[in-house]
Amino acid sequence: MGDIRLSTSDAQHAGARLAPEGGVHIDTPSGISAASGETASTAAPRERIDWSQLWYPGPSRSFTEAELARGGGDKPSRTVLLVATINLVSCFTALMPLVPAEVAPWTLLLLLAALFPMYQVAMWLWRRPTRRRLLSASLMAMITFVSLSLLLRWLLPDQHLRRWVATTLGTLAMVCAMAFWIITMFRAHQIAARLRELDERDRAIAMARQLATAQIQPHFLFNSLASLQHWVDSGDDRAAPMLRALTGYLRATLPMFNRDSLALCEELAAVERYLEVMQARLGERLCVAMDVEPAALQQQLPPGLLLTLVENAIEHGVLPSLHGAELRVQARCLTSDKSGRILIEVRDSGAGLPAQPQDGVGLTNSRARLAQAFGDKARLTLLRRPEGGTCAQIELPFQQPEPKA
Amino acid sequence: MNLPAPSGSSPMITLPTITALIADDEEAPRAQLRAALQRCWPQLQIVAEAVNGVDAWDAFLEHEPAVCFLDIRMPGLNGIEVAQRIQGRAQVVFVTAFGDHALAAFDAGAVDYVLKPVDDERLAQAISRVRSRVQATTAATPPDASLQALLAQLAAQVKRPAPVEVIQASLGKEVRLIRVDSIVYFEADARYTRVVHEDGEALIRTPLKELLAQLDSQRFWQVHRSVIVNHHHIASAVRVDEGTMHLVLHGRPEKLPVSRHFQGRFKGQ
Repeated sequence: MGDIRLSTSDAQHAGARLAPEGGVHIDTPSGISAASGETASTAAPRERIDWSQLWYPGPSRSFTEAELARGGGDKPSRTVLLVATINLVSCFTALMPLVPAEVAPWTLLLLLAALFPMYQVAMWLWRRPTRRRLLSASLMAMITFVSLSLLLRWLLPDQHLRRWVATTLGTLAMVCAMAFWIITMFRAHQIAARLRELDERDRAIAMARQLATAQIQPHFLFNSLASLQHWVDSGDDRAAPMLRALTGYLRATLPMFNRDSLALCEELAAVERYLEVMQARLGERLCVAMDVEPAALQQQLPPGLLLTLVENAIEHGVLPSLHGAELRVQARCLTSDKSGRILIEVRDSGAGLPAQPQDGVGLTNSRARLAQAFGDKARLTLLRRPEGGTCAQIELPFQQPEPKA
Repeated sequence: MNLPAPSGSSPMITLPTITALIADDEEAPRAQLRAALQRCWPQLQIVAEAVNGVDAWDAFLEHEPAVCFLDIRMPGLNGIEVAQRIQGRAQVVFVTAFGDHALAAFDAGAVDYVLKPVDDERLAQAISRVRSRVQATTAATPPDASLQALLAQLAAQVKRPAPVEVIQASLGKEVRLIRVDSIVYFEADARYTRVVHEDGEALIRTPLKELLAQLDSQRFWQVHRSVIVNHHHIASAVRVDEGTMHLVLHGRPEKLPVSRHFQGRFKGQ
């Protein structure tokens, strides 16, 4: 079953992205593409030279706080630090023979003293590799070296030494700026790559989750087929409506999970087909009541959420109950205004929760999907009903589909 | 539910008829299995059909069929729990909608299983194995210990509501709450269940077979189709003759019968 769905829904999955953590980003394609962080240049047919890099060099992409927290929380690896240190030491070693003998110890001291602030600036760029930071760092280096050169010019008596100091410090300033540029660009690419990787992983998880949730309970399917088989064999009148309800259920359920959200009325259609099948199978053992306020019908829900709760109520409440049970699906608005909340309940008078209830796959998925869509604004609770049985409640913010522009 | 012997069976057959019980909580799959059995094994006499686990267990005690076709997911007791209680006294074939990983454990063959909707060919296979085992098994064959261990392990995975702590018995306009600790035994009495406790007696409507699934099976032992006893109150088990045994209780005059199936519990150490 999974295979079929995979092949028909590839395109949709590839286009779908997870909304940023906690945000309610359903049906907002613009917000979704912004979160992905792809720049427009990737769509251009021919690569164009970005001349601005000449006077304002640095990464063209700037990361948001959330992106930095997600993909840029790490320190440079020990390998990178080691290689940088070895490079610097070999640079110094190569430079030393050029230094006039009388200032060699001072030069060495100066270079070593410059290392610490340089390291600090490099880390500052590492933490946030932006154009502005790169510019500030380069300017800072320039100013420092120029003022240092002026100071030494004034201090040093020898004309030859003065010229030498000016050249050296100038080169150092250039090298510094170059190093900062490399660090910034490397780091920006690294974070972008990591974010891409994380996005891809999240997409894979989301897809796996959708497929897992969409799984039709095999017990439900084969038990229904067993009843159907008998009714067909024996020419029973119940066969035709049963087949119709089962087909309706499958048709509603299979494409349902490809979508990010679904109106309650669409979900209810699948629930009703499911309950028709169960009603045909269980007869008097199942008594169903539906009570849904019309105002709640357009409420947006993660697909399959209500169906999972109803299936659970049947599987763990009604079916294990010796004398059958009643199942009631209720949805009502807690307040009438737009900022209100909606309460959806699935109650059964069946077997009740076990002594130590534990979330199964269905409930765990439902909670994750609810959190993905509504953050902490929605909750899903299972209650022991005092009169026996279980009540599953979803409380969530009132959300209607946005009118099409 | 008692059924008359199938009218199609020929009176010419002199072999002892093999009896069977079928249990499924849904009517149509049960009927489908019955029809398939009648096609594949016309000589089989279906003596009882049960609509849940407690009925299946009760029907087993009443009819002692040679073969039991048990659905796994049933209310009350599930098929595995029923098989565990049967303790190898009948051949068990599980009938289930979906081949859970649990069923793979039975592939070794001690217990067979068929999938719903039941397919004639597969059922015929299971039947031929059951027939050969029925013929090989005599009353003296001890129950298969490894099978019992496997069933116990599977039965332990069933999540049950916590066992009842209090029995509510109405007495006129009053509802008496009886703590299960104080109960000595339960006895099936026509349409009621008699609850005998330390301070007296009461009648409740819940059938004994249903109570069985709600009580803590460590404390309450079924010793007869119609008797469940709190084992703390048992003083001794007395064997009267080959097939008869009864229990003597602490500080009480009455003796409780132990039927053959449960006598294995009292064998001395």
